Amino acid sequence: MLVSPEGAAAVKGTAPLVQERLCGQLQQAITALSWSADGNALAIASAGGELLLLDFRAGCEELLRGDHDASLDAIGFSADGQFLMAVGQAGELLLWELGGSGVRPMAFAPLPLGAGWLDAAVWQPAGLLLAVAAGRRVRLWDGAVRQWHPGSLELPGTAQSLAWSADGRRLAASCHGELALWNPLDPAAAPRRAPTASVSLALAFSPVGHLLACGQMDRSLLLWPEAGDGRPWQFSGFPAKVRALAWSDQPGKLAPSLAVAAADHVVLWQQQDRSEQGWKPEPLLWHEQRVQALAFAPGRPLLASASADGSVGLWDGRGRLLQALEGEGQGFQALAWRPDGLHLAAGGDQGRWWLWPVAVPGRERQRRSGGAGFG
Amino acid sequence: MAFTSAVPAADRLPVTVLTGYLGAGKTTLLNRILTHEHGLKVAVIVNEFGEVGIDNQLVIDADEEIFEMNNGCICCTVRGDLIRIIGNLMKRRDRFDHLVIETTGLADPAPVIQTFFVDEDLRDELRLDAVITLVDLVHVQQHWEAEEVQEQLAFADVLLLNKADLVEEAERQAIEQRVRAINPMARLLTTCNADAPIDQLLGVGAFELERALSLDPGFLIEEHAHEHDDAVGSVAFVEERPMSLDKLGSWLSDLVAERGPDLFRMKGIIQLEGKDERYVFQAVHMLLDGDFDRPWKDGERRCTEFVIIGRDLDTKGLRSGFNACVA
Repeated sequence: MLVSPEGAAAVKGTAPLVQERLCGQLQQAITALSWSADGNALAIASAGGELLLLDFRAGCEELLRGDHDASLDAIGFSADGQFLMAVGQAGELLLWELGGSGVRPMAFAPLPLGAGWLDAAVWQPAGLLLAVAAGRRVRLWDGAVRQWHPGSLELPGTAQSLAWSADGRRLAASCHGELALWNPLDPAAAPRRAPTASVSLALAFSPVGHLLACGQMDRSLLLWPEAGDGRPWQFSGFPAKVRALAWSDQPGKLAPSLAVAAADHVVLWQQQDRSEQGWKPEPLLWHEQRVQALAFAPGRPLLASASADGSVGLWDGRGRLLQALEGEGQGFQALAWRPDGLHLAAGGDQGRWWLWPVAVPGRERQRRSGGAGFG
Repeated sequence: MAFTSAVPAADRLPVTVLTGYLGAGKTTLLNRILTHEHGLKVAVIVNEFGEVGIDNQLVIDADEEIFEMNNGCICCTVRGDLIRIIGNLMKRRDRFDHLVIETTGLADPAPVIQTFFVDEDLRDELRLDAVITLVDLVHVQQHWEAEEVQEQLAFADVLLLNKADLVEEAERQAIEQRVRAINPMARLLTTCNADAPIDQLLGVGAFELERALSLDPGFLIEEHAHEHDDAVGSVAFVEERPMSLDKLGSWLSDLVAERGPDLFRMKGIIQLEGKDERYVFQAVHMLLDGDFDRPWKDGERRCTEFVIIGRDLDTKGLRSGFNACVA
């Protein structure tokens, strides 16, 4: 394992990307991290039910929720930064209205869903719909009218994972045996339902192009062209459940790169041609324990992988390890890049959180003008 | 398929599965486990929300959902809701050190048990401690024909004959005999209001191979094939001559391939030809696990003891198959 006193070690031959860090501590394991679209706010949730909001412009932090004991498992800011949501063990949707930097967030009354532990909820990109997986239903809370949307998606099993397409017009939802694609904006259109042999634990639409990736419990990966309308490629033989996915926002030769995590493996997929065998895997074997989270830096061909082994790997677009970040003895659970692609937040399994400024590597810097300034 | 984990048992969180037909006293027992001063922090997963609720205790509702992982293969049938909920719960590991799962009264226990052996995450983070089945002495006779009742008895490691204060002793004995015919290897406790000692319920280690047959020493002294005509029953074999591991292995793999769905549980201590150690073995449906245990002790009766619990067992065929495995 690569260790250095600064908590960051550069792989031989490259200049360190990471210079200094900010960190803090919650009571229990960090379950989720989320940045506001303008990069001015970072929310951090824990398995002990804490929700911490860091407001970088005002330079202050506030514990929005701390006196509860029920885990929070999914959090997120609406695209316009008006709302912050959290769901978890208590089975309620929690919402706050954000008045802007320096203004105290205002909590809504919790909305009970009566469907047990909630762990999947996602805001629509560039919209105000929030999709919430509530048992065998996917419900939508509409921020424009501040109430539940009349339509909902019914599934034959418990909804496991949700994802919006980049244009916000399509919502994918998975349960055991089915992948459903729904356009909630068109009430006349019936959801498209595709049978699957297993269940998708992770879903992700590509930010460019129209691809939907599904990480399956049966150790396979499904890749749907045309945002789920075509026939999927299926890739089997992963060492374990495929539990995390991340698309690059950099256009590739035919499609952007896709990173996939199963057990301690990260596999980088790239499409070389349009044939059946056109997708080529590149295994990135370096982590020693389960990889918990993957994220590509926005605007850069830079991948971060977080593992229970207590390290975060930073990889270039071709799968070369650039740098290792250390978790001070804790396994990593969650990752989130700031929208500027220059700051990476991570959460540990014993409540510690970190924020690293990540510099642009030398070669890439020549093509970019962005600095590593913070806040 | 073997069901061992690479992670040592001591590093995994113990799980107790609580089954029993409707009204058998599961909620009473759960409340006892949650309020008893046993020094354990217990988390409970229930299916009927609201019935159990004690301040400052971790009680979580789950919606029983069966996942068929592999084209309906019975040993790959698991509880998908448990995989998800326990995955979330394990991030709160410091909040509890024992997990109890209550199944609904009509549940087949096999998918719950198999979840802890088939799912890669749960297998490495948890270990099944025991299946506890509550038997309602007052009403069990009315439900005896229900498949679920017989399956719940068959899969048990600990059987509580509950509500003993409400039946005559003669009736209790008759029920005990009938229960024993189905499951001769479970620890049997007679209770009123599910008042069994907690140390007989939690920390049993019934699925740890070395303790697989130690619950009730001496239960196999006599071979038996019982007279009851229930669909679910058991056969037990005792053999003084040493066995052949190769023959036993191929007999068992053929047996589970052909009859796996009807074979609920098997346990055995085997005396192998030319070996000073005991070989211990157990199975749940098609999941098999076996390993060498301790050496035979001086003065210990060296013999093979083997129990099969299942549905519509062909005692004669099993006997001749077993006999053919003598070295």
